Amino acid sequence: MSGQVRRLASGGRINRDRGLRFTFDGRVLEGYAGDTLASALLANGVDVVGRSFKYARPRGIVGHGAEEPNAIVQLGSAAASVPNLRATQVELYDGLEARSTGAPVFQRAVGRLGRFLPAGFYYKTFMGSAPLWMASEPLLRHAAGFGRAPTGADPDTYDRMNRHCDVLVVGAGPAGLSAALEAARSGARVLLADEQAEFGGSLLAETRPLGVDGATNWVDKTIGELASRANVELLPRSTVSGFYDHNFLTIVERRTDHLGLVSPNATRERLHRVRADQVVLATGAIERPLVFANNDLPGVMLATSVGTYVNRYAVVPGETLLLFTTNDQAYRTALDWRRAGREVCAIVDVREAPGGELVAAAREAGIEVIAGHVVIEAIGRGRVARAVIAPLNASGDALDGPTRRLSCNLIACSGGWNPTLHLGSQTGVRPRWSEDAAAFLPGDLGVRALCTGAVTGTGSLRACLEEGALAGATAASRTGFGSGRTTFAAPVIDEPRGTPARPLYLVPHARPVSRAPKQFVDYQLDVTAADIELAAREGYKSVEHVKRYTALGFGTDQGKLGNVNGVAILARALGKTIAETGTTMFRPSYTPATFGTIAGRDVGEFFDPERHTPMHTWHESKGAAWENVGRWKRPWYYPRAGETMQQAVNRECLAARDGVAILDASTLGKIDIQGADAAEFLDRIYTIGFRRLGVGRCRYGLMLREDGTIFDDGVTARLAENRYLMHTTTGNAEAVFAWLELWHQTEWPDLDVHFTSVTDHWATAALVGPRSREVLAKVGADIDLSRDAFRFMDVREGEVAGFPARVFRISFSGELSFEVNVPAQHGRGLWDALIDAGSEFGITPYGTETMHVLRAEKGFIIVGQDTDGSMTPADMGMDWAVRRNKPFGFIGDRSLVLSDHQRADRPQLVGLASADGDTVLPEGGQLVDDPKPPPPVPMAGHVTSSYYSARLSRPIALGMVKGGSKRIGETVYCPLADGRILAGTIVDPVFYDPEGERQNV
Amino acid sequence: MLRIRCPYCQEARSEEEFSHAGEAHIPRPANPDASSDAQWGEYLHLRRNPRGPHREMWVHTAGCRRYFNVLRDTVNYEILATYAMGERPADEPEEGAL
Amino acid sequence: MSDGVGVACRESRVGAFLNLRGDAADPGFRNVAASVTGVELPVEPCTWRRHAGHAAAYWLGPDEWLLAMQNGVGVDLESRLRDVLDPRCSVVDVSGAHVQVELSGEDAGKVLQKSSPYDFDPRNFGVGRCVQTVFAKATALVAAREADAFDIVFRRSYADYLLRWLEDAAAEYNASDGRSP
Repeated sequence: MSGQVRRLASGGRINRDRGLRFTFDGRVLEGYAGDTLASALLANGVDVVGRSFKYARPRGIVGHGAEEPNAIVQLGSAAASVPNLRATQVELYDGLEARSTGAPVFQRAVGRLGRFLPAGFYYKTFMGSAPLWMASEPLLRHAAGFGRAPTGADPDTYDRMNRHCDVLVVGAGPAGLSAALEAARSGARVLLADEQAEFGGSLLAETRPLGVDGATNWVDKTIGELASRANVELLPRSTVSGFYDHNFLTIVERRTDHLGLVSPNATRERLHRVRADQVVLATGAIERPLVFANNDLPGVMLATSVGTYVNRYAVVPGETLLLFTTNDQAYRTALDWRRAGREVCAIVDVREAPGGELVAAAREAGIEVIAGHVVIEAIGRGRVARAVIAPLNASGDALDGPTRRLSCNLIACSGGWNPTLHLGSQTGVRPRWSEDAAAFLPGDLGVRALCTGAVTGTGSLRACLEEGALAGATAASRTGFGSGRTTFAAPVIDEPRGTPARPLYLVPHARPVSRAPKQFVDYQLDVTAADIELAAREGYKSVEHVKRYTALGFGTDQGKLGNVNGVAILARALGKTIAETGTTMFRPSYTPATFGTIAGRDVGEFFDPERHTPMHTWHESKGAAWENVGRWKRPWYYPRAGETMQQAVNRECLAARDGVAILDASTLGKIDIQGADAAEFLDRIYTIGFRRLGVGRCRYGLMLREDGTIFDDGVTARLAENRYLMHTTTGNAEAVFAWLELWHQTEWPDLDVHFTSVTDHWATAALVGPRSREVLAKVGADIDLSRDAFRFMDVREGEVAGFPARVFRISFSGELSFEVNVPAQHGRGLWDALIDAGSEFGITPYGTETMHVLRAEKGFIIVGQDTDGSMTPADMGMDWAVRRNKPFGFIGDRSLVLSDHQRADRPQLVGLASADGDTVLPEGGQLVDDPKPPPPVPMAGHVTSSYYSARLSRPIALGMVKGGSKRIGETVYCPLADGRILAGTIVDPVFYDPEGERQNV
Repeated sequence: MLRIRCPYCQEARSEEEFSHAGEAHIPRPANPDASSDAQWGEYLHLRRNPRGPHREMWVHTAGCRRYFNVLRDTVNYEILATYAMGERPADEPEEGAL
Repeated sequence: MSDGVGVACRESRVGAFLNLRGDAADPGFRNVAASVTGVELPVEPCTWRRHAGHAAAYWLGPDEWLLAMQNGVGVDLESRLRDVLDPRCSVVDVSGAHVQVELSGEDAGKVLQKSSPYDFDPRNFGVGRCVQTVFAKATALVAAREADAFDIVFRRSYADYLLRWLEDAAAEYNASDGRSP
């Protein structure tokens, strides 16, 4: 492929037999299987991969992994498009379409203004000027970010998998592999995750042999052993993104991205929710860049990354290399470069007298080593063409001689290593500065997690392998596997003797920082050394504040490259040490995660479970409109062809009042209560008494919280001497069940009583209306249904339509009513039988809306609609349901006499009649005494329930009005948003059949 | 995401199986009517909210439905002990850094 | 796709479910319960016992069990038990409240892993164990019947949701309704 001008003729872990075609910003390019998008772009000689966020400067690829700040791309188009991916982590596939993202959008929006934005620009410009912010916000919000979120529904599927292991090893580089191997050999359950497609980490670009093997052979053998063990699971392409409390970690596994964008038959990404007894963090380290003028020119890269592109991908990202280093290890890159047959112009070494074996090797190879010098500036248009170098003084803060220029088109930088300590930091453990390592190292993670290898500052490969093995054995032994001692024999590796590094966080320029060409610290958000110094001058002292003021580390890369240099520059500006200045903390996720991964399968029909009653399919077949009540699907009303909702509800209401109607009441909470002390317990839980309730009788009860407010209500029946059945409201069923257990288990364990939820066991059909008895008789019931034998508030057991049943003569409508309960497996059978038997009486199914109208006509409250958690029984006019002289009292009893609960001006339940006799007051409408008051307006109350009553041919409403029970006949006003003011008359809340005779027909 | 040992199921389970149920060891006054408004208000509303070890009740909602006690450090979320209703933990650290 | 069948899911026929409460430390109670149901009440937390083809008893809590009877009618079993049990015990027919399915096949454990945060690895959850836990966005009782075969009991009102969930979770393992592995 002739386009790959920077591809070496041989070498690398790419498959040259599998050429792949892809596009970048519309250009058709070619690469190989095994490439990342970044390595393929470099192979094709693509220097500029994007424009910077604030200044729109051309940017090139800097790194080779998660640290990459510049090469942020968007893949594909339309719904399957994915924004905000690092080209260094995108595996190349045939047909890949990538676009650069970010800055051009910002530039279109803000024009060239970005050039002149200093640190804190937004704060300074917008904090004092609300109108300017209001005008600019949409523009800025549109401009922000990297790429565009797709607008269509995501065509991919995502899911979650829960995992448990004894030892989770994060990172499959040298330390991680040896840790996993040792832990696995102990018999512990091991999970090994690595973000790359291939395990091996830095070993994949390692040129030294490990013992008799090549490094990659050692990797292959190790993976082979791990894969053969049943107690090991390997997760490649899996980023451990979050480390939470109690060793709970999340891993994002990319399962299909390397195959293309849409994989309809497979899970694209899987979120592994891992609970690990022990965690071994072998996350390695990321090379620290050097901060000098114009260090963002394409062609300035990390030294390790250059080495990785050469060795692993057979790509030479330039022709003439200048290596700029503070340490020995980076010399390998120059040697690799030379071995690849390319020219090294010089090694510029910060140290006065570098003298390690690698330095000697470079000199032997004929490479010029310029000691005690620094690169102060890169020069070029769109790519490095020259480097300006100068000698550095002894304290490292100024130049010590004249500058000169060297020609090169690639500057590989190494400023030392930043351990990848993000995951440990996420647990809340602060990293600590080590002067010896010249790096922040992970803090003490306690007894359930270990760090090993380069993340602890270890530089030698052999030491990483040995430490990893020990960490694996230690972690395993803490979970009860193995002795904690290791039998691991690290292979012999050529470890050249080195000389100490000389850390340098900001390269001085001939001009002061504020006047020098930009010296970038954070590439992604265009934060320069001058910005940080400016923040310090303006009085910012805390690293957390400086982060927020300058945006240092706020990018999607979380400052993986820039943070430490930024902290050091701040420390110097503040006259403090780095240890005193400290570092910011990291939060999940380590690299950006898709929303799809977080949502998993909890989308569409699985977003929230629907609970169905046994009669659900019947309602469905009748075209019921649905109301969601908690998770239940309840029929709202049953529209006939051409009917409006109001017409349907009117018809259903009249059927219940005049003939017979039927409601699926299966969703009501039902709790079976047994025990010698059941009555005593109920007495303590309800405001009303249950001790003297006869067997076969029912009683309505109010349940209060301890503060005296209404919690729930419902009818409880005494089925036998020591057995009751409690009904709760639909939405409160589980809360009430937990409430009963709470009091029994924690306060009164001595009471002999047991609770069993039977909500799902019973299907309930409420047969309502003056002809309901006839329907029940027709369907066949072995119960005496006569008025005197089966009284209001009686319960009977028997058979209905051939099914074992309990029938309650209770009524939430005020009409004659039989609530027929059968075990749920017979629910549909009962329902069909009742519909069939009722047909000659015009039986009409009704839904929750009609149920509400019927109960409101009777002034029956609904807890949670007419009450809001602050109302007492007295507020609702329900003192009749309270017995204050029980031997033990009841929950909430004491609070009822608190002075605030006795106030005369508390909101009280009233009925409201529309003054015009026609307009339905809006539910939630605020009520005032004066229709046109000067503000502030004192509130008199609000409307809680409001309907049109077909029976009464007028609107009715319930509401809470301050002192309302003594204000019958007065007028209150309900101002609407549209300027109209409705008037309502306060009336008694019982609108229909106040004597309650209809339920006794 | 905490991992909590249920003293009844006798194994550690993930937090999503449980619900928090407030501070533990707050006895209901034996005779509420004999308590003053101030005492009653304290029982109703005042909670310790310490920085450090804190005794709280949890309920194994998705499991055995039993309430139990947890001694949990509110600084680092470590769970120092879980124990059944009516019990005290064997090794009793100082509660709260008051 | 893998060879052979990964996961099969089918509804089990259970004659009656009963919820039983009593004192686990009282051998008299346990003996009486066993004499009617034919199965011992497990006292070890999170375990279950069965009388093959006849009945199963699942530990739900320190004083609570779920009985699954292959034959019989819930209300009849309830009254037979009530007749012989101490009045301090509680027995409730909950036949209508539960739906039971059997999930089996070599990938059945993976379907469970997708559904619940509990550790279903055979090292932790061997045959004879049962657990009540979070299951998708509902809850369920899961029992290890044999290697790669689990009984799952959940509330009837959630059946439509959970059966669809299981079908969806099993799809990638080449599942087939009602086909045994």
